[in-house]
Amino acid sequence: MRKTRLFLTALVVVSVLAAPAGANAATIVMSGSTTVYPLAVDLAKAYNRRTGTKFRILQGGSDVGVADAARGRVTLGMSSRDPKAGDPGGITFYRIARDAICVVTNRARRVSNFSRRQVQAIYTGRVGGYDIFARSAPSGTQDAFQKLFLDPFRQTSAARLLGSNGQVAQAVRRNRRGIGYVSLAFTGGLNVARYQGVGCTLRKAKSGTYPGSRNLYFVSRGQAGGAAAGFIRFARSRAGSSIAARNYVPFR
Amino acid sequence: MVTVSYRQPARPQGAPAAPVARRRGWSDQRVERVLGALAVTVLVFIVGMVIFVFANGWPSFRENGLAWFGDPPGDLTVDQQIFDIFNSPAREEFYEYALNTWPLLWGTFLSTAGAVVFGVVFAVLAAVFIVEFAPPAVNKVLEPVVRLLAAVPSVIYGLIGILVLVPLVDRVLVTDEIKDSVAGVLTIDGSSLLVAVVILTVMISPIMIAIIVDALRGIPRTWTEGAAALGANRWRVMWTVSLRASRPAIIAAVVLASARAIGEAIMLSMVAGSSGFAPNPLDGFLFFLEPIRPYAATIVDNREGLTVAPFGDTIYAFAAVLLVSALFLSLAGWAAKQPLKRYGVQV
Repeated sequence: MRKTRLFLTALVVVSVLAAPAGANAATIVMSGSTTVYPLAVDLAKAYNRRTGTKFRILQGGSDVGVADAARGRVTLGMSSRDPKAGDPGGITFYRIARDAICVVTNRARRVSNFSRRQVQAIYTGRVGGYDIFARSAPSGTQDAFQKLFLDPFRQTSAARLLGSNGQVAQAVRRNRRGIGYVSLAFTGGLNVARYQGVGCTLRKAKSGTYPGSRNLYFVSRGQAGGAAAGFIRFARSRAGSSIAARNYVPFR
Repeated sequence: MVTVSYRQPARPQGAPAAPVARRRGWSDQRVERVLGALAVTVLVFIVGMVIFVFANGWPSFRENGLAWFGDPPGDLTVDQQIFDIFNSPAREEFYEYALNTWPLLWGTFLSTAGAVVFGVVFAVLAAVFIVEFAPPAVNKVLEPVVRLLAAVPSVIYGLIGILVLVPLVDRVLVTDEIKDSVAGVLTIDGSSLLVAVVILTVMISPIMIAIIVDALRGIPRTWTEGAAALGANRWRVMWTVSLRASRPAIIAAVVLASARAIGEAIMLSMVAGSSGFAPNPLDGFLFFLEPIRPYAATIVDNREGLTVAPFGDTIYAFAAVLLVSALFLSLAGWAAKQPLKRYGVQV
């Protein structure tokens, strides 16, 4: 009984102490790109550990992020596409990382280069001879592949829709007719084809010459200030870049 | 409403009173209240969960009506519909909900029914062997192994499937001619209805074997000895007396196994083919090599997108269908047992 009471007292004391700390800490609300989402969550976790800043992060596509940021509904939007003409005025894009998507085939089939045309022909089902692996709908990689490689065509329903980069890599690795697309980090053991004559490498992606790569952004209304500015600085710092480097091309 | 009451049976006359503990322990009355409260909590939790899932999935059903279970129209496939739902415009008025899930429903049915049909035959024969024919030495190993198999996490079966069975089927059964014959329509690569059913059968059989073994052991000796005395051999006794009397247990086993098969997500997501395709039995041999993706696997594959409003609603709708099928399964199991009660068969 005494122990229980002690425990309860401790609980009350802790919550009383914790309450003002929580009230003081800023909250950053974010929404947008599903590609940036996992990166934002990782960055947010690390930043929360350092500063106690709280986060609420929702996903819903780059356009949602840009629109929400422009209307001031969120502190920061997330976008995996470049700014475009039709965007609402008065917003700022902050580049935080890059993402490259490689088209891969089985080692048994050493395709050295794919043109955009060839990729489109295979992934719309017009050309046979390949076992096609793709990603399920919510995948950011899928979204990027659609926009960077396939647009304006629609991916064939013959494609197997797998849940992760790793699964696609595994499926292509064991299937001599396999073709798939994965983020840079997952190309081990696979034949990585050049795309439009440019090799899918970290260096080419960093420099921006690889056409299958794109920038990942945080978007704010006006200039980012306060907690948001701090978070962007963190995302671009050496510590933030080392988090991004796990799956993306880091800012630094 | 269910009233929960776990009253102690009256203490028989003359029985000694419960020993009085020196430290004041919990009285029976308090235990009863606490346990009752726990039981009610579980009930409230389940009801709350069902309401939550249905409320969240409702928009998807409302927008599609009964066509939700239908075949996608024209050139559209269910996978393309899922993509469209995910890429809905951000404004609520323009949310995309159109969805026809026949291929997923058919896939769920095929994998579950296939596994249960093969599994029940296998389980009955295995149980008969264990109870009646196996030497005790074999049984000592066999029974613990069966119970262990029932507890193996499904992701391990999935790994075995994706690393061993799928490549095997791809190498042995799938020729390049088959692949080329469906190019642009399907990708046939070994992960298929066939592998899904085979692994699912292996997964659900141990539960069925365990239940049926228990039932066969529970048959009164006098019944079997009576039959043996009339000159029936062991197989005939099993077939005509023990198995007949165990029918309710077999039904219970089928219901439990179906529930597990319907809800199986990870393993099927790994080996079943991840394609919203409805295999056509008229395709002959190809039918078994065609990919499926049941509801549960679809939920797993798409869980990343839950925060996209219309997409999240759609995933909850899949969950609601799974919940209802679980409910119907137990109802069907209960109904199937009713006629047997007339013969005084108890489980």
